[in-house]
Amino acid sequence: MTEHTKQLLAYLKKAEYRRERTPGMIDVTDEIRGKSDLLRDALRFRVMLENETPKIFPYDNFGFRRSRGDFAYYTDENGSRSVQWSAGNLTPDYPKALALGMDGLRAELLSKREADGGAHADFYTAALETVDAALDYADRYREFAKNHAPDVLYRALCRVPHGPPESFYEACVFLQFMIFTLRCNRNTHLGLGRFDQYMLPFWRSDLEKGVPEETLFETLEEFFVSLNFDADIYQGMQLGDNGQSLMLGGYDLNGQDRYNELSVAVMNASLELRLIDPKINLRVNSKTPAERFLLATRMTKQGLGFPQYANDDVVVPGLIRLGYAPEDAADYTVAACWEFSIPGKGAEIVNIDQMVFPKVVRRELFAHLEACDSFDRLLEYVKLGVAFDAGEIVGKHSGHHYPASPWLSVFIEGCVQTGKDVSAYGAKYNNFGAHGVGIANAADSLAAVREVIYDKKECTKTELLRALEKNFEGYGELRNRLLSCPKMGSDDDRADEIARVLLETYADALNGKPNGAGGIFRAGTGSAHEYYYSARNVGATPDGRKAGEMYGSGFSPSLTGRPTGPLSCIRSFTKYDMTRLVNGGPLSMELHDSVFRDEEGVEKVAQLVMAFIRLGGHQLQLNSVNRDVLLDAREHPEAHRDLIVRVWGWSGYFTELDPQYQAHIIRRTEFLV
Amino acid sequence: MKQALIFSVEEFSVHDGPGIRATVFLKGCPLRCEWCHNPEGQRFENEIVKSQAGCENCGACVKAGGGRLNEKSVGVCPNRLLRMSGEPYTPSRLFERLRRLLPILSGAGGGVTFSGGEPLAHPDFLQETLALLKGQTHRAVQTSGYCDADTFRYILGQTDYFLYDLKLLDPALHKRYTGADNAPILGNFRILCGSGKPFITRIPLIPGVTDTEENLTAAARFLRENGVKTAELLPYNRLAGSKYASVGRRYAPGFDENALPHARTDIFRSFGVEPKVLWGDHVD
Repeated sequence: MTEHTKQLLAYLKKAEYRRERTPGMIDVTDEIRGKSDLLRDALRFRVMLENETPKIFPYDNFGFRRSRGDFAYYTDENGSRSVQWSAGNLTPDYPKALALGMDGLRAELLSKREADGGAHADFYTAALETVDAALDYADRYREFAKNHAPDVLYRALCRVPHGPPESFYEACVFLQFMIFTLRCNRNTHLGLGRFDQYMLPFWRSDLEKGVPEETLFETLEEFFVSLNFDADIYQGMQLGDNGQSLMLGGYDLNGQDRYNELSVAVMNASLELRLIDPKINLRVNSKTPAERFLLATRMTKQGLGFPQYANDDVVVPGLIRLGYAPEDAADYTVAACWEFSIPGKGAEIVNIDQMVFPKVVRRELFAHLEACDSFDRLLEYVKLGVAFDAGEIVGKHSGHHYPASPWLSVFIEGCVQTGKDVSAYGAKYNNFGAHGVGIANAADSLAAVREVIYDKKECTKTELLRALEKNFEGYGELRNRLLSCPKMGSDDDRADEIARVLLETYADALNGKPNGAGGIFRAGTGSAHEYYYSARNVGATPDGRKAGEMYGSGFSPSLTGRPTGPLSCIRSFTKYDMTRLVNGGPLSMELHDSVFRDEEGVEKVAQLVMAFIRLGGHQLQLNSVNRDVLLDAREHPEAHRDLIVRVWGWSGYFTELDPQYQAHIIRRTEFLV
Repeated sequence: MKQALIFSVEEFSVHDGPGIRATVFLKGCPLRCEWCHNPEGQRFENEIVKSQAGCENCGACVKAGGGRLNEKSVGVCPNRLLRMSGEPYTPSRLFERLRRLLPILSGAGGGVTFSGGEPLAHPDFLQETLALLKGQTHRAVQTSGYCDADTFRYILGQTDYFLYDLKLLDPALHKRYTGADNAPILGNFRILCGSGKPFITRIPLIPGVTDTEENLTAAARFLRENGVKTAELLPYNRLAGSKYASVGRRYAPGFDENALPHARTDIFRSFGVEPKVLWGDHVD
């Protein structure tokens, strides 16, 4: 890391810049009155940018920093305020923007409007308005930069964003312009997509021109530092939940490996910087060479929870199966956390709702357990329940759409061509994804019911239901018995087979169902914060979980079942046809940090990951943790301000998390040696 | 029926031999090393293990056991802090359990390691289990080497790799600190060296006990005499005492726990033995 980069990093960490912002929201109600939805959004964007004052930080070569701490809003005719986040959880078409420049994109909009003959005039007018607003700001920023920013930035701004970049640095400035403006437009959780693919031509051509690799690496590192500024304005559920995920590697349809020297540089930069953004994802398959897993495991060792692995052997066929064009499927990235989506082509709502498996199990137990004389009959009811809830998801969300967002639509394939905004399903893909929450708690619950009620008859149905109603109050011994029943994550078919039935039922009921948006629904295995929210109102379950207790995170063992070990866990979570669950959602596993204490341990963790990929897992995320450190950080946050942990599809500073998320992370480490 | 008590199967042990390994811990050990960090492995009988953290002293466990802890206590703890350590396994049952893991283990150049306790204290069970695993995966035994020569040869024939401990070369000191005679250990080590089987020697560095100049010199000389070119030195783990309370015992080592052990790699090198100091605090 260069001295300059260190200084920039130190400035970021001091976080003083956050206090210099002008507070307050900007009311644009008067400006938008009588305008269409699309124009309203465009005008709000313009006013928003007009109220931003160009600003740059010390050691900052990228600029485009926020001067205000809040956003513009308007109040519509019904009196409701447009302050919610706009379309997000997707990846704009960076490669095209970099290839054409904003002037090129503008010219394309003009020619499409011409050809359209007025049918979609509203969209084109709004989209052009946003392009002009963004370019006006860029011009204003360039004039500011002339006297206040490093000369290198000023010179870059004389070319971009109007024209296409001609160097790696200019390309980074271009990205910074896009990120800044899109975020001002309230488009949150925008991934960085396949950065090592679309940035590679700039990297290589700079090298050919004689730019030293160290200079390029410094630019790369400082661009990554740059991504961490203003993160507090854009947090989702918690600080760090902002979707700046970056995907590395991947295989094309001919099986050609697209991992390259820039992928390596990105890994090394992330290793050195130890920052929560960008969040590193790595595409691999069963043929990926071992060295790559070794480098990735060194990253895991740092404890940030990176990288998250995605298995091309599973994800690409899974997306094709859902109807994605093969070349698009092979180009997948993660939307923001783990949801597989197509960069620049998908305006998909990847987290529109969730199947909460334990809720279904509990409901069906209370409705049907007494009447079921066999476990199989009970399981049939549960299957009907899962299908019913999947139907509810379909019914509830069909025809849902994003808010109007012409500025984002400029960067989505399909919108510009058809003259339709993302809110009007102009994108090539408009599918809806749903999480699958608490699968382990649900499978464990049914496995326990089978064992204690049907197989061993150790407890009556009435007694079990009573115990659940009473939240195990006075049923401590029965609860301990339930806790000792087969658990998902221990390679026990008695639990895993039930999980398979539930997952298949869910996938059958949801995958491919039309969503009224020109797309379909797709099932996944993620939970996000729903391991907490969707658990709060669900009473005790027969796996021994008490009322309101949190579920496991994503596609992971429950917090109550003592897993046999990492190998059994990997086996447990690779027994299913994961090509049917490509809305995504990783198996998360915690490994004690002592495993990583020497190179031998690092090599073996890498082998563990390779085993997971060989067995057909879809997505994996490992954590190096030390329970004592976490407990100490909870008690003495001042001493652990730099401690970074994985929360769900993102990593954040442990001490800045709300208590329930801290508790979940600590619970996950309970059974580590 | 040949059977043994197993107190743990650790699925992802990374420091017990090549590749990813499953390590099987057999219960019972003829030695009583003062620095033993695994007291659960010492007794040949099963016993109650009670985690101390989180105990609310509700008394339910003692009440259920009729005034003391026993197997009736295990299920009643509201915080699940009790478990019965030592589950009886036959070789075929253990093989069934391991079999599911073999593709992952073998695929990663690893295998199964038997540890303890002292695995050689269960020769028939061990031999039969190793025989079942033959040709299926790589088999390692981690041992103090304490058993008679016939037993050692019996196991040697079914083992692919040894992790062999050398503690103290002086017979009197060995007896004092481990409670056992070191003659069989040194004798079996010679058998191992003569067999051509691959192995690694591990020397625990216990401050003031095994890390003395005399002992390390004697160990290095002994290794050279037997043609051994490498050794791993394992600094004393200051958490060694942390598990004693859970088996209702007190940890009272007769050496200064807080002193840093000396690795003295120079001594080993002077005898042509390349030492590798494993993790842990130490001074040279």
